[in-house]
Amino acid sequence: MPRVYIDEAVFEFEGRPRILEFCLQHGIELPYFCYHPALSIPANCRQCLVEVGQLVIDPKTGQPEFDEQGKPVVRFFPKLMPSCATELTDGMVVRTHRTSPLVRRAQQDNLEFILLNHPLDCPICDQAGECPLQELTYKFGPDSSRFEFPKVHKPKRIPLGPRVILDAERCINCTRCVRFTEEISRSRQLTIVQRGEKNYPATAPGTVFDDPYSMNTIDICPVGALTSADFRFRARVWEMASTPSICTGCARGCAITIWTRHNRVERFTPRYNPLVNDYWMCDEGRLSYRQLEENRTSGPHLRQDGELSPASWEQAIEQGAALLRSVPPHEIAVLGSAFLPLEDLYLLRRLAFEVLGTANLDYIRHEDPGFGDDFLRLSDRSPNRMGCELVGIGPTTGGLPLPQWPQALKEGRIRLVLVFGDDPLGTGVLPESEEVIWIVASSHWTPTARRAHVLLPLATHAEITGCFLNREGILQRTRPAKAIKGQQRTLVPEMGKGRLDHHGTPFDRWWGHEYYYDCRPGWHIISALMGALGLSVSYEGPHAVFLELTHRIAALHGLNYEKIGLHGLRLTPQPVAD
Amino acid sequence: MTNWKAYRPLLLPPIRGLDRIEVYEQHGGYEALRRVLAEWTPARVIEEVKASGLRGRGGAGFSTGLKWSFMPPPDGRPRYLCVNGDESEPGTFKDRQILEFNPHLLIEGALIAAYAIQATAIYLYIRGEYADWIDRVEVALLQARERGYIGERVLGTDWSIAFYVHRGAGAYICGEESALMESIEGKRAYPRQKPPFPAQRGLWGRPTTINNVETLANVPLIIRHGAEWYNQIGAPKHPGPILYGISGHVNRPGVYELPSGMPIETLIYEVAGGIRGGKRLKAVIPGGSSTPPLRADQIAGVTMDAESLRAAGSMMGTAGMVVLDEDTDMVRVLVRIAEFYHHESCGQCTPCREGTGWLVKILRRIERGEGKPADLELLLEICNQMEGRTVCALADAAAWPVRHTIQRFREEFEARCRGSLFSVPEPIPSTSQ
Repeated sequence: MPRVYIDEAVFEFEGRPRILEFCLQHGIELPYFCYHPALSIPANCRQCLVEVGQLVIDPKTGQPEFDEQGKPVVRFFPKLMPSCATELTDGMVVRTHRTSPLVRRAQQDNLEFILLNHPLDCPICDQAGECPLQELTYKFGPDSSRFEFPKVHKPKRIPLGPRVILDAERCINCTRCVRFTEEISRSRQLTIVQRGEKNYPATAPGTVFDDPYSMNTIDICPVGALTSADFRFRARVWEMASTPSICTGCARGCAITIWTRHNRVERFTPRYNPLVNDYWMCDEGRLSYRQLEENRTSGPHLRQDGELSPASWEQAIEQGAALLRSVPPHEIAVLGSAFLPLEDLYLLRRLAFEVLGTANLDYIRHEDPGFGDDFLRLSDRSPNRMGCELVGIGPTTGGLPLPQWPQALKEGRIRLVLVFGDDPLGTGVLPESEEVIWIVASSHWTPTARRAHVLLPLATHAEITGCFLNREGILQRTRPAKAIKGQQRTLVPEMGKGRLDHHGTPFDRWWGHEYYYDCRPGWHIISALMGALGLSVSYEGPHAVFLELTHRIAALHGLNYEKIGLHGLRLTPQPVAD
Repeated sequence: MTNWKAYRPLLLPPIRGLDRIEVYEQHGGYEALRRVLAEWTPARVIEEVKASGLRGRGGAGFSTGLKWSFMPPPDGRPRYLCVNGDESEPGTFKDRQILEFNPHLLIEGALIAAYAIQATAIYLYIRGEYADWIDRVEVALLQARERGYIGERVLGTDWSIAFYVHRGAGAYICGEESALMESIEGKRAYPRQKPPFPAQRGLWGRPTTINNVETLANVPLIIRHGAEWYNQIGAPKHPGPILYGISGHVNRPGVYELPSGMPIETLIYEVAGGIRGGKRLKAVIPGGSSTPPLRADQIAGVTMDAESLRAAGSMMGTAGMVVLDEDTDMVRVLVRIAEFYHHESCGQCTPCREGTGWLVKILRRIERGEGKPADLELLLEICNQMEGRTVCALADAAAWPVRHTIQRFREEFEARCRGSLFSVPEPIPSTSQ
């Protein structure tokens, strides 16, 4: 196998990797700005320069030549080579800053150049704290600058499009954003204008950067040149906690990181997942975080004298169970939701079939034909339709499929609908009907929730642990990014941590403010209902539900949360084993 | 060369109306192309050009035949010849003479080169400012096309070639070979990281050879008279006729065609008629603004060929010689040169984008008389930080004149810094550890 010598350590390699990519894979840190693993390699930042040489091979023996001291003879290239663009060859000798003063010096020199006209306004820059330029300057940069002139001034606060704002002075011209629009989103909306040190990225005159994936350029921008119109100046990075999770905006289920501050979700950013979304997500999914803090239900409500009024969880569960008991099983319909995780769907199915004894169980298909594209967005706007199919949310023998429910509601053949995590009235799937009893578990004040006789507030995907199966059969898991009132003990160890005191205690002045909602995870509500209806179940947490699920569904056999990990895994879809 | 007056020009012979195809044909034009297409294999053309010792006239002086031989074997897909007519280096104005007075020589040379490398199309890139000469070349191309030298089945053979003219839009960087190809592709002219070299991945990702206008104009001469004949002209290791573009403080500035290896002193004092106003010489920039200037006391016996100039501490470049007399302010000269490279840096690579601007700022401060003594060391160090660390050679071209002008005319710069009100006795600490 071909060998390469990096800082006097020997590595074997396969294929034709480039030096930088090989070093990063092997935990050898090199500074870089313009390189991005998903983009082409222009080698323009010149930060990753290394010394590259080749062992001199004696043509007679085919063995490396040695000098008088017994050291192998190396013929070095006369210039430093960009490690991002240089392919490894057998017998290559690479010297990084660890062994080469020349490389060390080149890295300092280059950072001095980059910072020459960089405004260094880190204290007011959104990128500070997650800025490669800031980090690499501390690690590799010079201790000071010898530049004694006014910096070059360029346009600032330029809205490139509705969601991305440019500060051209901060730009270091790495062209990552331009290459993203050329190679990934293919909108070709950005280019570099001007020349030399006046260079900056811009759109063509009269056009705006409204690419549906435009905000990815904010993530890949190695400085604060591109910032989010939405997130600008809202929170410092180090004040936030980050939690790995997934986006529930469509059936793709892009891996994301949820960023919270004082228990309020401030932004979503895409999280690398080679199985699903690589490094990217769409702008709509990214901005869907707003829904997590808007129009939320908090605390159970019961309808008394035609008005919804707050009640305790015990009262609400008791009232729900009483209503469910008051109606013959075949007159009950259970509406699940493709927005619920597998754990909730599974328990809902148990509730319907084993406890209530109704065969009417279905879910709403959320199709939005205009939303899909040929990159990440899918027309199926629900995150877990495959999960519904896997668990078996659908009518069994004798049950009514969803399209027949409106008729059955009108004719009085269905008199009670248990709605879990969806909005049949708001979407117009089911008609409003005076005679029907609505028991609703909902995270938001939807039209259905307002119509409820019993309203059970449901936690969102940002507050729970749960599994989602995307359109391509990739099973991924959410983690709780923010706390709910009456926090489930099982959720706490999973929560993302920023500062140690991030989630706070009741003694913190911000504890208990409006962003803590009195809601519960679906599995918790369903098992409470099951208990009230006479089937005593006790799950320790979602992982216990999932464990039971793995015994019931062949495709999940042998899995647990640890195995799903951060990138999820591909399931081979199999029919329901029930 | 003492009898330079006896030299008969070959690239720009004194024939009236040579840009008209019938005149050109009367004087043996397109015969070399006919002979090559009828009798020679592409490989033989390459061998002949290799044997002639022809070296590129665009500045680097690389062996033309060797460059052609880097092309991979044809695979049935397109391959290209690019002709670099984006002549933009300050002090260089020789290609335009060929475009104006002998365009058919260039066209014939390009066709022979295209045949040798088995290209399917030729792109002639001319700087947009040469509007008049672009028109002339296009007329010449029209004539050549009518006579069947260009197009499908050239001269009845089964060899076909397309020929396009591309106008530049005013950027010096487009003269860099890979930037030129990006520009032809309709992109922003950012030079490409090499390797891969143009012969592997050039225009539109296909094998491409790129030659200077003057280089290709030499090719028909080699075919017509043979490699051995060509080899005898001028300096042995850098043979052939050279278009010397002499400008600056001389009595007769202009483009002079003479053999390579002309002594610099002969060029200044005889060919160009000596220094204006009988003044004394101060410096010579031998080959365009990026080549290191030579002091008057450095040019004795130095001849215009790559070897002699390298020994003297400069470069042949494009043979665009700038002569500066004793009254010249070298600080001003250097500021002007540095401003040019600052203005023309494409801004792709960090060291060039930032370094060229920094050089200019310090040099202007010195010119204003506000320089610090440590500034000279700082300038040299910035040159160190730029040289050899960028995608293309523009950073080198910007750094060389700064480095060598300061080294060779240091007393002038120091005198200018000494008058500074802001002089700092101790050097500014360097960042090196």
